[in-house]
Amino acid sequence: MAEKRTTKKILQKKLADRKRTPLYRRDVLKKLSQKFEQWRNMTVHREDRKNWYVTPRTILGSDIPREMLYTPLSNPDFDYMEDLGHSGQEPFTRGIHANMYRGKEFTMRQLTGFGGPEETNERIKFMLAHGATGLNVLFDLPTIQMYDSDDPISKGQVGMSGVAIDSVEDMDLTFKDIPLDKVTVSLVTHYPSNTAILFPMYLALADRRGIPWDRLRGSVQNDITLEEVVRSSPEYIPPQACFRIQCDNIEFIRQNVPLWNFVTYNGYNLREFGTSGVTEMTVALANAIGTVEEMVSRGHDVDWVAERIAFFWSPASDFFEEVARIRAVRRLWYKIMKYRFRAKSPRSMWMRCHVQTSGVSLMREEPLNNIIRAAYHALATVLGGVQSLHVDSYDEAYSVPTEEAALLSLRTQQIIQAETGVTEVVDPLGGSFYVEALTNEIEKRILDEVDEIEKIGGYVTAIDKGWLHKKIAEYFYKERNMVEKGVIKLVGYNIYKAPAELPPINVFRYPEGVEERQKARLAKLREQRDNEKVNAALTALKDACKRGKNVVPYTLQCARVGCSEGEIFKVFKLAFGLWKPPVFW
Amino acid sequence: MAGKIKVLLAKLGLDVHNRGLITVAKELRDAGMEVIYIGNSMPKEIIHTALQEDVDVVGVSSLGGAHLTLGGELIEKAKHEGLKERMTFVIGGVFPPLDATKLQEVGFDATFMPGATREEIVSSIRKIVSQKIDSLI
Repeated sequence: MAEKRTTKKILQKKLADRKRTPLYRRDVLKKLSQKFEQWRNMTVHREDRKNWYVTPRTILGSDIPREMLYTPLSNPDFDYMEDLGHSGQEPFTRGIHANMYRGKEFTMRQLTGFGGPEETNERIKFMLAHGATGLNVLFDLPTIQMYDSDDPISKGQVGMSGVAIDSVEDMDLTFKDIPLDKVTVSLVTHYPSNTAILFPMYLALADRRGIPWDRLRGSVQNDITLEEVVRSSPEYIPPQACFRIQCDNIEFIRQNVPLWNFVTYNGYNLREFGTSGVTEMTVALANAIGTVEEMVSRGHDVDWVAERIAFFWSPASDFFEEVARIRAVRRLWYKIMKYRFRAKSPRSMWMRCHVQTSGVSLMREEPLNNIIRAAYHALATVLGGVQSLHVDSYDEAYSVPTEEAALLSLRTQQIIQAETGVTEVVDPLGGSFYVEALTNEIEKRILDEVDEIEKIGGYVTAIDKGWLHKKIAEYFYKERNMVEKGVIKLVGYNIYKAPAELPPINVFRYPEGVEERQKARLAKLREQRDNEKVNAALTALKDACKRGKNVVPYTLQCARVGCSEGEIFKVFKLAFGLWKPPVFW
Repeated sequence: MAGKIKVLLAKLGLDVHNRGLITVAKELRDAGMEVIYIGNSMPKEIIHTALQEDVDVVGVSSLGGAHLTLGGELIEKAKHEGLKERMTFVIGGVFPPLDATKLQEVGFDATFMPGATREEIVSSIRKIVSQKIDSLI
């Protein structure tokens, strides 16, 4: 059997045939090169000449060396139409829409979720009343890990780090008075398994309210990387089963909820766990490539699938790298869809993304400094042309944000959007010698790493073999060393330390009594529902898992008859068995 | 003291964040300690393993908000089994400043928050372990 050609090989071959028209004339560049050498030898200090390349050392950085000064010589083959094009035009480097933020402001989508459905509903209303333009709902630890509030393992953790959802009843209370056909809702269901369980509860809620599914807009995450790599959990299903559920979700949602973004390849949590900005994007792309291949092999059209693919990135502190990364991955995704998968619809080639400012870049020491950090992270991504944004709050190294801190994050976005003027011009840094050179370098590095994964045998195999787990562990040990040695400089932590303790900040407190309330509601549900129907739905789901049918119609039936999340997850565990991920330390 | 310090490390309950704990596992091992990493566990299992393995130190990590509820339960169970005097109990993670004090009041021998250095963690564990041994003699 001939060896399968990797994405990199395919792109190299296809792009080699394209005629390039460099912007700079050869003779002009040659003259410029002489002048540059002269300047370097006469004007530049010897020290600077010697240290011409410097590598910024930052939290979650990519260690890409930088020149002291960028000139046309840094990118001599620059071809404007081929490498950038105009905005809204292939290869979409400058943005997916011609008018970008003039046409549509970035969506201000702050994360919300803590306590029970009642508390979260209140916070959602508070954020909407203050100008949030989308919702972003986070689930508590038992919900995200797929255990019920009354499971012994959930003790003491109900309503923490997100909202507790056990069944469709809780979904209903969370979205009380919220018009589901009017706001866009991001459900932060990190994993394929909990997407298959929780999203059907949302659909069952829409049915209750008489809202047709084709009017629902929003997104789920549904990403194998989060379920199998970026978490710690007592129980995992095997990667192959997890990938299958990821694809089942995609297939079902595409067929039945046409405006819903059925997958958000989540680079964010992976990078925050510990990888460079390059690996973050590599992994998301490798997963996306694997998904499109799988969907095509299930008989679906490439464009039908790809039009609704979305991404989620973590912008950290290396400002220009962050701007360049967004542009680089936009161009690379276009190339992959156009040349590797022969997509026809421009929408399929759009790298649409949400970003959240980096959480691990925030420091516990002098927490108010985090306001500044998050604002720079946010600004970089707006300059990079993202679609939607969450800004982390300054108190997150302590707890979930207080209402005051959450509002300040929203205000940060509003100030960028309304006061700085940066949204009036599309891709304002495009054409910068520096940003273009960096964009090229990052694109190249991402494609090289995608190649590495494909040579292992694809993304699911790379997970199964521990390639990614190992890479992450190596990264964060190295980073920790650099922080401890002061190579990575952090204000207020390892440089410019405050001489005295600063006054404490106001910190969020979890509401009390949530666990009891959830348990009581579950007990009532179990008593009032038709338990015969529940058992039948769970048995049918197990059968579907075993027979390789799409599982979502079956989890939907489970949601409708009032199965709890833990009951549904139990079926997955029984049907697929458990898997032990590698831990490297 | 004689022999290697034996450490049991666990994530408290369902908390998903394990970067910190894996880092600490490696750092303690590199510092010459014997480390057993059991991942996500509830207080009962942690105490059970601590007894079975006869460890010197039990270290737990919590970034999800359950530090007081589950952390408190862990110490209670440890007291119940009579382990508090001979074993060292430490906790690390994300929690409000006042809670660090509360955790020490509850009975943790040390608390580590984001920003704790390798040196701080290793040396305070060594110190507490040797103090406990001295007091037992």
